[in-house]
Amino acid sequence: VNALDLSMRAQVAAIAAGDVDAAELLDATLARIEERNPAINAVVATFPEESRAMLAEAPAGPLHGVPVVIKDEWPLPWRAQRFGAAQLLAPTAPGESGPYRALRDAGAVIVGVGNMHELGSGSTGNVSVYGAARNPWDTERCPGGSSSGPAAATAARLVAGAVGADGLGSVRFPAAYCGLTGLKPTFGRSAMAGHHMAAVTTLIVSGPLCADAADCRLLGSALFGEDLSAGNAAGLRIGVVRDTVSEDVAPEVAEACEAAIEALRAETGGEVVEVELAGLDAATLAAILTINTESLVGVTPERLNDLDPEVSPINRGFAKYRMLLPAAATVQAGRVRTLMRRRLAALFEEVDVIAWPTIPAVAPPLEAPMVELPSGTQTADQANVRGAALANLTGIPAISVPVGLGSEGLPIALQMQGAWGSDALLLDAAEALERANDRRWVDARPPLAQAEPTGV
Amino acid sequence: MEAADQAEQFIPAGLASLQIEADEIELAVINAAHQMFWPAIRALLSLDLGDLEPERDPDLSRPPVQP
Repeated sequence: VNALDLSMRAQVAAIAAGDVDAAELLDATLARIEERNPAINAVVATFPEESRAMLAEAPAGPLHGVPVVIKDEWPLPWRAQRFGAAQLLAPTAPGESGPYRALRDAGAVIVGVGNMHELGSGSTGNVSVYGAARNPWDTERCPGGSSSGPAAATAARLVAGAVGADGLGSVRFPAAYCGLTGLKPTFGRSAMAGHHMAAVTTLIVSGPLCADAADCRLLGSALFGEDLSAGNAAGLRIGVVRDTVSEDVAPEVAEACEAAIEALRAETGGEVVEVELAGLDAATLAAILTINTESLVGVTPERLNDLDPEVSPINRGFAKYRMLLPAAATVQAGRVRTLMRRRLAALFEEVDVIAWPTIPAVAPPLEAPMVELPSGTQTADQANVRGAALANLTGIPAISVPVGLGSEGLPIALQMQGAWGSDALLLDAAEALERANDRRWVDARPPLAQAEPTGV
Repeated sequence: MEAADQAEQFIPAGLASLQIEADEIELAVINAAHQMFWPAIRALLSLDLGDLEPERDPDLSRPPVQP
């Protein structure tokens, strides 16, 4: 097997055993990016000299010699983040960000910067100063956002894993659209320093995107700076909420997710419990208001009037609309946050995880990111955020796991959310689900990743 | 002036009072965003949460401290 197609943990093991030369793996990764990236626009910058220097100085850490892509959301010592935009309203500069240090200290090699939805403001990845990233499963489809490039790069096997960021679902959506496993950590547990909103955000976290849960555990442990030890999901109590998030979804998504929940129950010897969780709509709006308010730091009317015309009209307009949001609504959002945190705390006394579809429909077309749901046609952004915002608002961890392919051959995903600090349990549950499915969905590869391999 | 007419002035008046300029396309985006969000914002503002007070400086990595 080509080393580029190994799991991240297998790459680590092969390098440690001397079966794979890390320098050759890096060169092969760069060659594969050159070969495959034009079709998906996942990687927007490579820097072979800096990557080779990282490798030369890499400690014998848990990711020694493994090439990784990082989202265009943090600075690197040789490159400031652009946040997928022609202009940021916050100042940025090259530097050692938290995720950079975490990867470096684990021995990883940052091989490229991943594309992203402009300003992190979309779930589709079809708007970016670099041009849209494309989904390796169908390059006319959205890869998901805002961590579009990290997901597309991993799904196309340019790398075995990538670092994304999740403020309103931005790790989980692209993981779901691209058939990957993506972890949104408990707030504050994963490296965030250096992010231009790190000082103000109460929503955004860094998180891993990999083919499966074991690789997410490995990469996540580096980002957490602590071992996300494998445990046991035996007897898992799975909460199911009968609400828009589970019912206003495409029939094929509902079917695959229900089957996955039942398979997980059977695999863990657990139980499925129908639970009530009122207030999801208010929670979604509260999260949207919170992130929009937090993103106003440093914004002045003068800066808005000087916005680069290359910033997309939708983000230019929305940046200005944010200035009109009433403060009273943000205060009310804070109260909703407290309400939902209390409701979740009570709910997690009854169940270990709550499960519903990550995305209500498979990846929509790049040109028109709309989805057909039982309630009618909606923008993908409107539909997607409903199922994702709760975890960001309340701080709980969440994971997206592939659970099927739809009629158009596009991935379907189940999201599981757990109590604060239960990140490792979510990985355990994801692994149980993989076993229940004989790894069918985590081992599925898009057409682009089955192309003629480059060698190591 | 009717309340509905005044509401229609919210966007242009708000932008003007902050001296924020917007071209035609940006205005179309702003109006679309307003139509999408404002009814939900009004509903949120009207939500009766009783005497619930937000957590003071919550630690979002942990469960809420019970009152």
